[in-house]
Amino acid sequence: MSENIKADKVLDLKGLPCPMPIVKISKGIKEVEINQVIQAITTDPGSLTDFPAWARTNGHEILDTIQGDDTITFYIKRVK
Amino acid sequence: METDLREDLLKAFEGKLNQTITMYLETCSRCGICTDSCHVYKSMPRPEYSPAARAEVIRKLYKKYFKFQGKLLPALGEARSFDDTTLDDLNRAAYSCTGCRRCMTHCPFGIDTQQIMSIAKLMLVVAKEEPEILSMLADVSISKGESIDMIKQGFIDGLKRLEKDVVKKWKLEAGQIPIPTEVQGADILYVALAGAHSIIPAAAVFNAAKENWTLSFFEAVNFGAFVGDPAKTKLIMDRIINEAKKLNVKEVCICECGTAFRVLKQMSGKQPFKVSSITQVHERYIKENKIKVAKNQFNGVITYHDPCQIARNGGVMDEPRFILSQLTDEFIDMAKRAENNYCCGGGGGLVAMGEDSHDFRMKSAKVKADQVKATNASLLVTACENCHSQLSDLNKYYNMGVEVKFLSSMVADALIHD
Amino acid sequence: MDTLNYIILVPMVYLSSAIFIAGMIYRITSIFKKPVLTIPLRIYPEKNPVWLYTLIDTFLMPQVFKAKPVMWYFLIIFHGSVFLLIIGHIELIQMFDIFQIIEHDVFLGKGFIGLSLFVSLLYFLFRRFTPQAKHLSVLEDYILLTLLLMTVILGSEMDWARTWFGFQEMTVEDYQTYLKSLLFFKPDISDVTYSGHSFMLVFHVFFANLFIMFFPFSKMMHAIFTIPLNKIRRG
Repeated sequence: MSENIKADKVLDLKGLPCPMPIVKISKGIKEVEINQVIQAITTDPGSLTDFPAWARTNGHEILDTIQGDDTITFYIKRVK
Repeated sequence: METDLREDLLKAFEGKLNQTITMYLETCSRCGICTDSCHVYKSMPRPEYSPAARAEVIRKLYKKYFKFQGKLLPALGEARSFDDTTLDDLNRAAYSCTGCRRCMTHCPFGIDTQQIMSIAKLMLVVAKEEPEILSMLADVSISKGESIDMIKQGFIDGLKRLEKDVVKKWKLEAGQIPIPTEVQGADILYVALAGAHSIIPAAAVFNAAKENWTLSFFEAVNFGAFVGDPAKTKLIMDRIINEAKKLNVKEVCICECGTAFRVLKQMSGKQPFKVSSITQVHERYIKENKIKVAKNQFNGVITYHDPCQIARNGGVMDEPRFILSQLTDEFIDMAKRAENNYCCGGGGGLVAMGEDSHDFRMKSAKVKADQVKATNASLLVTACENCHSQLSDLNKYYNMGVEVKFLSSMVADALIHD
Repeated sequence: MDTLNYIILVPMVYLSSAIFIAGMIYRITSIFKKPVLTIPLRIYPEKNPVWLYTLIDTFLMPQVFKAKPVMWYFLIIFHGSVFLLIIGHIELIQMFDIFQIIEHDVFLGKGFIGLSLFVSLLYFLFRRFTPQAKHLSVLEDYILLTLLLMTVILGSEMDWARTWFGFQEMTVEDYQTYLKSLLFFKPDISDVTYSGHSFMLVFHVFFANLFIMFFPFSKMMHAIFTIPLNKIRRG
């Protein structure tokens, strides 16, 4: 699915200390337009629970989550 | 200010007025002995950065609305009503204080500025003027607690990715699982942070000690406490308490996170498990010969930054020094007494506010940087994520020329077989 | 003039004592009716026994000694002097054998207690005007110090007149007659109002009255709350 998703902005959140990935994605999402997509790349296993919870509480949509060998990539659509 | 808002703020204020806080508000004689104990004031000597001056912002409102003196003769104590600048003043006071409580150790009355600032933080929450990011982080934590079954699998998948790194640090024996979860009746429930660096070294040490442990699904940090929202603080804390009770564990071990440790240790009340910091657990392992560590694997002079909520406010001061004495012969302390160590300048939610607070965090922690530089250490060790982030920022900003390391990761790196 | 003397020396003393007692009871009970905070607020390292360290913190202020030694010196002199002067005033009502462990005339210290109190009050007042303390200070702080300073100057002058200059017109017995008469609600001010020094007594009592009335409604409540708060810090 992810091959079809075009990201409007890419955020590299690899190796950041807690809670920076969420802090940065919250800032980043405001820098794209509604319905645009952010690609966020992290290394934290915790982001696999943090990002869905963040998306739910803030009303955004995670289009896809891809677990690579060393990284986790999220595609997130700004909904509001 | 609108009447409705004022009423709400006063209600929140009144709800905070327990015996202790009221005595704090009544007792201060404005002697100013606390002034020089604050790292913010020491770094930026402006009168409003005296702990007593921060508390006065609250105290003047207290006099106006809750004290006979302020109602009858407001001029005596400069009693002050809510006006358009009140919320700004509350914000400046509350978020220029990291809640390190160093001032409390110098106050002849033992006044706890952090407690007084908790009134300011709560009023900011009520007025929806608190740092947005902190509330958002708290909400994310709560949401995870509510929907754990939905996100559990994702987390377990994520952990699988860390297994090879855990094994790299410590080879497992037959039957050992690198990162166990949901172990009923485990001796230790380890509550980590979201980052791999908080899980991998800890797992290696637990495995080396052949501990019967299990990893929590939740992150330890309590953003509710940072933002000063008692309801959210409790919800976030309760996730961990409930998990510990459900698994019937004997001990909850908190990762290197000062707020998490202090909140769970001091606010959870009487529970069927004990609360320890990972530093305490590691000290225990070394003393009981459950793990062995190699000495002098780290070169150069090593110093230790006491995280305020773990040391001065949590009582863990001798343990890290014991561990370091096993890792190096070149340890040097920054302050004569651990409880006198300056705050790193990142507490109270400031680090989590990221770039928004960067300028203030750097300028207000100049004394910390000076304290570190004076040791001539090449390795700066700490046991708190918040402190680690802040110290790393300081390291860049002030060219401190140190490497900032977590104590737990040093223990994991120094593990040796018998 | 006689009427004014009488008002200050008799009804105003009763009024201020009544306000003080009622105010203290009201302030303390209203605070102890508030909910108890169950979260420990202690500071580490732990020192045992807690009660002993609480008392040491309260009365010897080792934290202040480490942080501000000069301030500590004046604080100890000041509070120690206040304690001795309270004993002195009790003796102005009635002599008690227990106070005579160190044999002395009424008011220990041959006038020097008042002097050291005066000097430390001057220090406290002047430091209020240093930039660091000035920003923190409010009117209440200056008023309390001024009231104390006036009370101490006038009170000490009476003491110095007797002990240093052999002034004989107003004796310990005269003060005792006055204070006892107040205590038994049969006020008699005749022995203390005929002398040329009487105005000192009248003003001394006047400022003391104001101070006592203000006490329960001011930061002076630290006299009561310091022990429980230090206990909370010690755990």
